[in-house]
Amino acid sequence: MSGIINPVSAKEWRDIRAFIYLEARLADESEYGAWEALLTDDVHYWVPYGKANYEPDSRISFINDNRHRLATRIRQLQTGHRHAQTPASSMRRMITNLELLEQSESGYVVAGNFVLYEHAIQATHNVRVWAGRVTYGLRRTDDGLRMSRKVVELVNSTEALPTLAFLI
Amino acid sequence: MQSPIDSEHGPEASVIYEDLIATHRIHGSLYTDPAVFADEMKRIFLDGWVFVGHESEIPEIGDWVTRQLGLEPVIMVRDEHGRVQVLANRCAHRGTMLCWQARGGGRRAFQCTYHGWVYSLDGKLRSLPGRSGFDGEISRISLDRPNQVDRYQGFVFANQNGGAGPLEGHLGAGGMALIDRAVELSPTGELAINGGWIGQRIDSNWKMWPESDNDGYHLAVVHASLQKAVPGTQYEAALFSPELDNTSQARDHGMGHVELELRTGYDAELAWLGTTREKVAGYCDALENARGAEAAKRILWDGPPHALIFPNLFLGEMNLAIIQPLSPGVTAHHHTPLLLGGVDAALNRRILRQSEGGMGPASFLLADDAVVAERMQRGFEAGHQAGHVWTDMTRGRHRERQDIHGKVSHVSDETINRGFWSHYRSVMTERA
Repeated sequence: MSGIINPVSAKEWRDIRAFIYLEARLADESEYGAWEALLTDDVHYWVPYGKANYEPDSRISFINDNRHRLATRIRQLQTGHRHAQTPASSMRRMITNLELLEQSESGYVVAGNFVLYEHAIQATHNVRVWAGRVTYGLRRTDDGLRMSRKVVELVNSTEALPTLAFLI
Repeated sequence: MQSPIDSEHGPEASVIYEDLIATHRIHGSLYTDPAVFADEMKRIFLDGWVFVGHESEIPEIGDWVTRQLGLEPVIMVRDEHGRVQVLANRCAHRGTMLCWQARGGGRRAFQCTYHGWVYSLDGKLRSLPGRSGFDGEISRISLDRPNQVDRYQGFVFANQNGGAGPLEGHLGAGGMALIDRAVELSPTGELAINGGWIGQRIDSNWKMWPESDNDGYHLAVVHASLQKAVPGTQYEAALFSPELDNTSQARDHGMGHVELELRTGYDAELAWLGTTREKVAGYCDALENARGAEAAKRILWDGPPHALIFPNLFLGEMNLAIIQPLSPGVTAHHHTPLLLGGVDAALNRRILRQSEGGMGPASFLLADDAVVAERMQRGFEAGHQAGHVWTDMTRGRHRERQDIHGKVSHVSDETINRGFWSHYRSVMTERA
């Protein structure tokens, strides 16, 4: 993880950052369809309990979606009756400290920190702060980069957490 | 955490529960009043039986989990002799908390981080620095513990103040039968509660959860988005079918134990697992070998219970959940998958995935229940100030009937709420 990675070209790094910022903006704005279009068919979307250091089949996680379940999640959000996100939370997230962890013929693994402010407008109207580390698996395709993995390790995920029905 | 004593009423003012709970309605202040919350912490959570955990959570000597019984922090630990101990999570010297994480293993003792007192796993003080500074009495010290701890089918319960009678009396035949139905799903009669716990924090009173978790009336509204996004879930026949076609039932087993009885509404075997015999043939064979074809057939149809064991244990089909009051307006809802002993890993993986889908902050079901509960809480808080908010719970009174197990009615009827509140009322008044 801390090994030296061959530096990518300035253009590759710009493309990676642009993709990550786009993904963040679409999630912030609950643009579910456009967000879904960024995913590969084998995507894994994981919000573990504690750190992402266990086999997801061995114990439960907050979110552990394969492509099929993630499609259901998005379909549920798009029904207009997902009370936990009706109306959708107003959100803004900052993504920083980005590092390239791996690269291969097919793509990259990039990780960074994030802070997300959520206005939980559905009932309590308070502003919730979510923070953690996010790891992206990015794949090169003919249509540009796509996301094959997103792992969100919340700093407080061993506590009871408020409703988390948006795309984190 | 808000102190329940910091109330406008002061600690001496007493709430007249008879005035707030009738058979057809209850007053909204029961969800908001800090004086009510303080009374509940004593009469329900100190004076009564409360679920602590399942012994399969701590299989090895030195395994421990932390829990809260009402507001009282405890440790459930497997001691040197293999016994399950429930101990106050608080040093007997100066009250310092001994364990501050959710769980762990390999403990041989608990050492306080303040002055270094060391307790063995059965709670006895084993050593302390500077013993010559104390008189001989000190060696008799132990950690506080509930006056009564008992188990049923590996489910550990505690009655902190004692005096609540035997556990069997609290569970009753109805409560024991519900627990039996969870355990008999395992061919070996063993649960393996080792799939981890996830917590959801909800800005609502804790009593909305015994109600909401077992409410058969809200499904088509609160969970409309699931029904639309995933047509044909296991709930289609048992919960989503039109009112007069639906043969699921609401049951009041007495003692506050209430059930959504889905088995009478299922339209197929294994509907509760969203699968068929062919797909889980190994499990069905094991169950038949263990219990015989006839019993296996019944178990595969009936599936797990969907029920509250008063006050804090939700047998949520293939989940166990603990309803944890934190303050009048804040509750934690913790859940773990009901993993089974004696089955293949694939079946437990299916249960794990089903658990992630149904419960927790990001789930397809409970996330929506939570927001609705938070809206109710806001409504009650506003009404409490005005003093006039009553909630109606008359639904189904005209068609409720009595059978040998207790009261039963249509799945969408408020038999559940009436059962919960009638027991609540007796607990809150008789022991006052």
